[in-house]
Amino acid sequence: MTTALVAGKETGASAEQLAAARRVLMLIAIWGALITVPLWLPLLGGYTALAGRVLVFGLAAMGLNMLLGFTGVMSFGHAAYFGLGAYGAGLTLRYLVHSTPLAMLAGTLLGGLAGTLFGLLIVHRRGVYFAMCTIAFGQLWYYLAYSWNSFTGGFDGLRDFHREAIGFGPLRLDIESGGTTFYFFLLGVFAVGVALMGFLLRSPFGRTLLAIRENERRARFLGIPVEQHIWLSFSISCFFTALAGTLYALLNNFADPLALHYSLSGYFLVMTVIGGMRTFWGPLLGAAVFVVLQDYISSMTVNWMSFIGVIFMAVVLFFPRGLLGARRRGAA
Amino acid sequence: MSKLATSVPRRTFVQAGLALGASQVIGAPFIIKARGEEPVKIGMVNPLTGVLSALAQSEVDGAKYAEAEINKKGGILGRQVQLLVEDSANDVGTGVQKTRKLIDRDQVDVILGDVNSGIAYAMSQVTNEKKVFHVVPGGHTDPITGTNCKWNVFRVCNTTTMDASAITPELVKRFGKKWFFITPDYAYGHTLQDAFVKALTKLGGTYDGDMLPINNTDFSATLIKAKAYKPNVLLNNMGGLTQINCMKQFTQFGMQKEMALGGALFELESIKGCPPDAQTGWWTMEWWWNQPNVPEVMKFVADYRAANNNKTPSARDWFGYVSVQTVRLAAEKAKSLEGPKLAAALEGLELPPDVALQPGKVFYRAGDHELMPNIFVGEVHPPKGDASDVFTTAELVAGEQAAGSVADTGCNMVRPT
Repeated sequence: MTTALVAGKETGASAEQLAAARRVLMLIAIWGALITVPLWLPLLGGYTALAGRVLVFGLAAMGLNMLLGFTGVMSFGHAAYFGLGAYGAGLTLRYLVHSTPLAMLAGTLLGGLAGTLFGLLIVHRRGVYFAMCTIAFGQLWYYLAYSWNSFTGGFDGLRDFHREAIGFGPLRLDIESGGTTFYFFLLGVFAVGVALMGFLLRSPFGRTLLAIRENERRARFLGIPVEQHIWLSFSISCFFTALAGTLYALLNNFADPLALHYSLSGYFLVMTVIGGMRTFWGPLLGAAVFVVLQDYISSMTVNWMSFIGVIFMAVVLFFPRGLLGARRRGAA
Repeated sequence: MSKLATSVPRRTFVQAGLALGASQVIGAPFIIKARGEEPVKIGMVNPLTGVLSALAQSEVDGAKYAEAEINKKGGILGRQVQLLVEDSANDVGTGVQKTRKLIDRDQVDVILGDVNSGIAYAMSQVTNEKKVFHVVPGGHTDPITGTNCKWNVFRVCNTTTMDASAITPELVKRFGKKWFFITPDYAYGHTLQDAFVKALTKLGGTYDGDMLPINNTDFSATLIKAKAYKPNVLLNNMGGLTQINCMKQFTQFGMQKEMALGGALFELESIKGCPPDAQTGWWTMEWWWNQPNVPEVMKFVADYRAANNNKTPSARDWFGYVSVQTVRLAAEKAKSLEGPKLAAALEGLELPPDVALQPGKVFYRAGDHELMPNIFVGEVHPPKGDASDVFTTAELVAGEQAAGSVADTGCNMVRPT
């Protein structure tokens, strides 16, 4: 608090330095916490698979946030790409090859390309029409997975596949058994995904997205091809969400139609809004809050969604910028 | 300046308060972790929300009753039993997550669950991977103890094949061979209908039918189709709340005058949820509370009612009860709680009369880990006197006769070396 006060008095240059220092500190804190999860989580009564879920949902929500928070376009159908990623990975492992990296590649491509193609159809829609189209398209995949029993396993989900150990020549990464090794594998993929996302958002492309979010008409008058950018943003966002979906399939050794259902899209939005949709790391925090609360409260009462709902409302009323956004007031 | 000075602390204060509050909520369960003697932990995953919730709750009730009874008699291997119940929300992903949670965090010795066969199967992948002993109280699809059987998985309820082959001759004999199926579109429905079709075509019958979503609410289109087909028997294979809705709409259409009604399961919980004119048809019960000739049953029912607000135990209560008792019986024989030893001890084990609660020999078949109880075939009717007296047993079919041989199930049991 005193630092904030001092910062207010200081000159612009040192304020900027301070902000940079804070950002570095925050990055150290986040990565430090994530890397040491296997050490401290069991002490708090958690378990490593829970942290894995946080990473997976965090990555999906961050992918969604690229569209929602940084481009200003609302999608209610991101579960479709998440689920397509999961099914893509699962189907590959089950029917095609027993290779984890290939399965991840196939799942990410399936979800991402579906999003890219679909995006073409809807970039001219705005607001509620855009959101409605995304729901409808998402449900289409849900019912496809639900009713194609012989191929996808229908309501019971896609089974009889499991993640395979990854070989790098003589080296072998044994992620089959789950546990800490698998967590670090997830963290590694998460880190690559997040680094790529951060890089994209800091690039001129990312700045252009912000401009579109802040004032679409002005961006258009500046000669920015708005539709093309929204389409790209939607498409890239779908690729990240699909990547998270493939990790979800590996985490559970299983893919089910509810991973495609619009209610999951709603959960992604809730995570993003709770964490803070104008911040880069907000959705990860939101996912952590959501997953941990779900895991903990649902053991005590079947009405755990009511508690999430109350927290969601409290956040919207008191921290409209989300939990992480609240500490950065004034920053866009 | 002054604005900055006042607003920043308040916000920080609120945040700190919220964080502190959250840490209290989230931190609470971890304090009670330190214990002296660890109890035997049994984790149960069941769909306490969703269309199967009534059935799931009965299984939990039965399991809790067994937990209390065992604890009163000194526990399992001298340790008290603790039952941990988790809601799978009738969703496979959640069920898998809860299973991992029970094994990884709560370190349970045994897993029970789930009513939904799809979830039960997905759970068995996890328990098998973790080498944890797993009892399926009430998920009926054949593969769990058939083509997908696993060394660590045992099942209390019947397979769909057992139920279907027990009731089919009765329905054909009484009503005819032209059938119409209303079947839920998931693992349970598929295997049940397949089992019926197999038994029916063997007797030279014909059929038609509809597959509907598991949460279906409107049956009018299907019922119109059924009416046009003019079957002898309509088989309602839906489960839980959906079955009740289907029965209600069936009677609203006045169709009970045109065709007989029947199927594999019409459970006590569901019968009670139907109006009297929908309490009809020929069905199987996997256990029935009213067995005046078996003294153990009469005592069990009386004690159970006394302990559970006068609730009459259904087959589901019995599944839950038998599942927990099974853990005790296996542990006492194995003198251990390790998965492989429990599984080896349970193969071929015969339930004592106060657990079996029915006449004859009731045992876990070694070849496929399926419990072989009697199947109660009979007629459902509106209550006679007692509010739960809604079923009259016509015949007891021996489980092994209905199940066929182990080779028929397709189970190839691979045991750990």
